Amino acid sequence: MPSELLKGFRLLDLTDEKGALCGKMFADLGAEVIKVEPPAGCSTRSIPPFLDDVGDAEHCLYSIAYHAGKKSVTANFQNADGRKLVAELAERADFLVESYPLGYLDSIGLGYDALAKLNPRLIYTSITPFGDKGPGKDYRWADIVSWAAGGMMFMMGEKGKPPLQMSLPQAGLHAGGEAAISSLIAHYPRQTSGLGQKIVVNMEACIVWTLMNEQSMPLLHGNFIRRTGVFTGSEDARRKMVYDCKDGHISILVAGGMVFGASTRALVNWMAEKGLGSPWMKEKDWVSWVPGVFMKMTAQDHKEIDELESSIQAFFNTMTKHEIYAEGLKRRIFLAPVANVADISADEQLKSRNFWIEVDHGDTLGRKLRFPGAFAKMSATPIGSLTRAPRIGEHNDEIYCGLLELTPARIAELRAAHAI
Amino acid sequence: MSFALEGIHILDFAWVGVGPITTKYLADNGADVIRIESAARPDVLRIGPPWKDARPGINRSQFFASYNTSKRGISLDLSKPKAREIAKRLVPWADIIVESFTPKAMRKWELAYENLVELRPDLIMLSTCMQGQTGPNALYPGFGQLMAALSGFYYISGYGPGSCAPPYGAYTDFIAPRFSASALLAALDYRRRTGKGQYIDMAQYEAAMQNLAPALIDYAASARVLEPRGNRSDRYAPHGAYRAADEDGAERWLAIAVENDAQWRATLDVLGAESRDPRFDSAAGRFANPDALDEFVGQLVREHNAYALTAKLQTAGVAAFPVQNCVDIHNDDNLESFGFWHWLDHKEMGPSPYEGLSHRMSRTPGDLRRAAPILGEHNDEIFRGMLSMSADEIEQLKKDYVIF
Repeated sequence: MPSELLKGFRLLDLTDEKGALCGKMFADLGAEVIKVEPPAGCSTRSIPPFLDDVGDAEHCLYSIAYHAGKKSVTANFQNADGRKLVAELAERADFLVESYPLGYLDSIGLGYDALAKLNPRLIYTSITPFGDKGPGKDYRWADIVSWAAGGMMFMMGEKGKPPLQMSLPQAGLHAGGEAAISSLIAHYPRQTSGLGQKIVVNMEACIVWTLMNEQSMPLLHGNFIRRTGVFTGSEDARRKMVYDCKDGHISILVAGGMVFGASTRALVNWMAEKGLGSPWMKEKDWVSWVPGVFMKMTAQDHKEIDELESSIQAFFNTMTKHEIYAEGLKRRIFLAPVANVADISADEQLKSRNFWIEVDHGDTLGRKLRFPGAFAKMSATPIGSLTRAPRIGEHNDEIYCGLLELTPARIAELRAAHAI
Repeated sequence: MSFALEGIHILDFAWVGVGPITTKYLADNGADVIRIESAARPDVLRIGPPWKDARPGINRSQFFASYNTSKRGISLDLSKPKAREIAKRLVPWADIIVESFTPKAMRKWELAYENLVELRPDLIMLSTCMQGQTGPNALYPGFGQLMAALSGFYYISGYGPGSCAPPYGAYTDFIAPRFSASALLAALDYRRRTGKGQYIDMAQYEAAMQNLAPALIDYAASARVLEPRGNRSDRYAPHGAYRAADEDGAERWLAIAVENDAQWRATLDVLGAESRDPRFDSAAGRFANPDALDEFVGQLVREHNAYALTAKLQTAGVAAFPVQNCVDIHNDDNLESFGFWHWLDHKEMGPSPYEGLSHRMSRTPGDLRRAAPILGEHNDEIFRGMLSMSADEIEQLKKDYVIF
């Protein structure tokens, strides 16, 4: 059952990978989401990898994940009848989200101005790589372009090697989330004023937003962080964030002060129980230990940190990430395993919260697939119950006959004219 | 001009990242957000850098300021019963309450949803913490850096299997708020239609994993584990960051993604490649020889200025952009033309740099309506104005460190 939360609202999804998550979120929240795609299918239907390496649209994992809960209709934008269908859908929609090159939809009569005349209530959200005014407004996009422009790539990777992107591109997902929240912000006044509006989402800005205020450092401290692999912080006050362990890596925040001191003390005590670490570590007042935070680190600070970090490394070498995490939880140490999808899938916490959901793909793939479930648990209106991603154009008859009240004969004509 | 969310009242007990960023989305769009904080246990971000003039102080952190624009702030030490009584007097005013402690604090203080809904029957309340309000690890203490490791993002950041080069900062703190704020706004609409409020339990963990969904589904179905693979792609070749000419003695890198043969030919033209390697003529050949391809492209790019080359490649229809650092983004014409950067006058820090919104609305544009509050900045206007407390009463409460 779809959620009651946004029941009765309809979103037209004209995005590609720059915004597919937006419609997915609306579907999670209970809205009717209609993906409008070209007759041959949207470019998101062929994003690798594919389930079982079968390279067709139904095995495309990106589509399986981010088109779940949606319906699909096809419309040929090169064809006047096809465009008219989209306009008629927009007349009956509450939201439209799109990520075409800037100006393209305007040029074919499906821009905000044209559609707002038909439907003043429409909230029309355009996702753009670089906004709609600057020199990059028409730039060609790939996910790595946003990652590079927005500043995250510069800080990821090791010195002497190239800056890095994550191995599951993220910029389009940030933009899709931003499209969802901004569309819902505009929804609130629309429900009383009856007036929709046009929203522009800027993908570069979405990535800048992930930088955790590092962007203020040059202005306030006159320095900025460069990529240093598993370390974080400036060159003269850097701290190791990721350690090796028997079967992978552990991430840990080793610091002092009010927030971190108790955690570091607990770690040092744990090491001491196993005969590791130096005697001074047990004596140290970790709550008042804040080297490099309020003043420059001294040679003594560097020596202590080097010794502490090498002791921690030796300690973690003796255990698996699961062992370290289990004990870290008991001792309330700020650490976490560098988990992969196998670790996550086995995690007891997620199981105990019934996080995972089964989505039936019996008629397309002959099985059920296990999905990450709802992004939140809502007491009155549970969210995130999903139907499988639609086949390309699967809902043409339902939507065009039902919503637009076309006759089967008319649909046959439109098919013959390649409008659908 | 009116803001989209004018008239919505939010009582914000949250701290650190996800909670305050969630309410910032709403505050910048006009919601009246009152943050409750205390010097007894300050928001961790208040004591973190960057600071004005690189000098620490509880009201000098831009880290805190950036996530608390457009809000009002009061100081109450909620460990004291009297402070909780005062906080409760604000509950009937609130459409939405947000908190982000580990899931014991609000229960201990009898400020849980069950307690507060008695004061406001149609209350919408969001609790957000690391791993959710229930389950064996509910009390897990942590920050987004650890959550980014736990929820899989560190693992897929590296040069190959076994390598780990994580994203900067508390990555998942910048995923989850879009989900929590969306849930709140949808809940407001549901309340408008039905008169019913509700309680929202959002684990940062569970929200963040939405950004990893294809890999999680794949593993459950086929046991395939997504491994880090540097900048390799199955869709683009070449694809990656290539070192351009140094500038002022510093490295410069350029990201390039080539999708098809036409773009590849355009890339070679722009780079002025004199020789051609026949292996790279076809997409199949480029995908089959990625190391040689990277080396070939790398040598050509090394001679060029990153920004000049970006303009030429983009004109030729090739996706490219310099790998920008935190100075570059302040000199960025695209962000500038979007009106992204702001200087706001902070009560203690004076004019301070803030990043703006990542979206722009035509009819009810949001804005950074004011700089973040210093601790307790709005005590008087809220305790006297809204709660009609007398000056003497307020003075006494300050002496008792209730207002603190």
